[in-house]
Amino acid sequence: MTSTYAIEAQGLTKRYGRRTAVEGLSFAVLPGKVTGFLGPNGAGKSTTMRLLLGLERPNAGRALINGRPYASLRIPLTHVGALLEAKSFHKGRTARSHLLCLAQSQALPARRVDEVIDLVGLHEAAGRRAGTYSLGMAQRLGIAAALLGDPRIVLLDEPVNGLDPEGVLWIRNLMKRLAAEGRAVLVSSHLMNEMAVTADHLLVIGRGRLLADCSTGEFIRRHTDPAIYAATPDVAKPALLEEAFMRLTANAVEYSAR
Amino acid sequence: MTTTTTVARFNTTRPTHDPGFTDLLRSEWTKFRTLRSSWWSLGTMLVLSLGMSITLTAVFSAQYHDNKLDAGNRLQFQNDTIGLFLQPGSSFGQLGCIVLGVLLIASEFSTGMIRATVLAAPRRTPVLAAKAAVLAGVVFVLAEAIAWICFFAGSAIVRNNVTVTLSTPGSLRAIIGFGLVMAMTALIALALGALLRHTAAAIAIALGWNLVVPGLLGLIPGSLGRHLSDAMPSRAGQLIMDRTEDVSAAYSQWTGLGIVALWTVVLLALAVWSIKKRDV
Repeated sequence: MTSTYAIEAQGLTKRYGRRTAVEGLSFAVLPGKVTGFLGPNGAGKSTTMRLLLGLERPNAGRALINGRPYASLRIPLTHVGALLEAKSFHKGRTARSHLLCLAQSQALPARRVDEVIDLVGLHEAAGRRAGTYSLGMAQRLGIAAALLGDPRIVLLDEPVNGLDPEGVLWIRNLMKRLAAEGRAVLVSSHLMNEMAVTADHLLVIGRGRLLADCSTGEFIRRHTDPAIYAATPDVAKPALLEEAFMRLTANAVEYSAR
Repeated sequence: MTTTTTVARFNTTRPTHDPGFTDLLRSEWTKFRTLRSSWWSLGTMLVLSLGMSITLTAVFSAQYHDNKLDAGNRLQFQNDTIGLFLQPGSSFGQLGCIVLGVLLIASEFSTGMIRATVLAAPRRTPVLAAKAAVLAGVVFVLAEAIAWICFFAGSAIVRNNVTVTLSTPGSLRAIIGFGLVMAMTALIALALGALLRHTAAAIAIALGWNLVVPGLLGLIPGSLGRHLSDAMPSRAGQLIMDRTEDVSAAYSQWTGLGIVALWTVVLLALAVWSIKKRDV
């Protein structure tokens, strides 16, 4: 039985000593669309994703995946697939071996490994040691691992960092396709232009607090200067996202030049 | 709720069965065998164990034959030849065990792989148990093979001076004990690697604990110094391979093995607690 909310955060709070990383974060992510998780560096995007995945435990609040805490999921990789930091694998292993050990832990058939390798276009390099991979190939391997269990939910933390234009386009189309297949896609990024054309819904976070939770179009309408908004043709409105974001988060930037 | 015209096309690949501990074992074995450092460490253990054991056996045997041994060593060669076969090998071979045990877990932290591991098995304890089982199993099998080779090679080398057979008291205990001690040394290293999450630090501490600490503790005067020094896992582990009870040792053979087992259990328990409680 799947709940309506693929991902749900209820009052998530996480502190490291005296520093509060996220405070009272509550939101829901729905399937069938790409949800962009936006915020300045240090805003708490990665912390939130780690809380959702049970890698860290919150000081308060709950994180639910398909209605349950991550630790209670029986075959977790069939529920959620995640791409977190780049190159998070052993350099001495081949892509195939890395994916195989993950697949075996979930009792997935071995042929699934080759399926995801083909899906992400790593067929040529699958037999080479992962330490020889470029950043783009490493990201593809990470995405292959995320899709291994054919999950309903996909979490991607800054998937586009370090990719060439072809890689950026590939990930954009992949995310849209995953959403069209009925999955919930949550992608965190600080690249406005990419988010503007990829995300259907936005969660904006600043200094650990939720600043916005609405569709991309709604966000742009609400936070752009009205005069500029009226003067911009519809087809160009996505380009206003950066401006809207800056206006909203001007006071919420963690690190800035004086 | 919005209506969508998309047909859900996920979860089309299903697991072949409900995954259990066996699947974690399979996964950990794949991780083990696909790392070159695993095989290098095992190779080091093999070469150092066999090399030191057979070399020292041959050297002592030749010196015995030529009457170059002093009275104490002479007596030990006659009465505790099995210890000679196996103890040097265990001392040196442990280096390979320690590196293997630490690398298996600490490299997951240094590469970030630990996140994927924990995401696949969020209850965490079972995956650490599977890793420990694979490590202990592999090390025990190789160590036993080494022990048997050392025994037969050693008996052949000394046959003109001393007769040592399987029915010589303490033979079987020493041979099985060798495998158990090596496996437990590897598990202790695994626990240290899990606690410290840092390859170099864990190896340094494990080696220091094995090589330096017993000597330092032995400097404490009297029986207290002996008891503390022999309670360290490296010294305690050697005792099982003594044929006759070594009068200078603080504990009996089986007590020594029990001490190593206690170190192993306590450190592994701490490691489990650490992996479960801390952020990853």
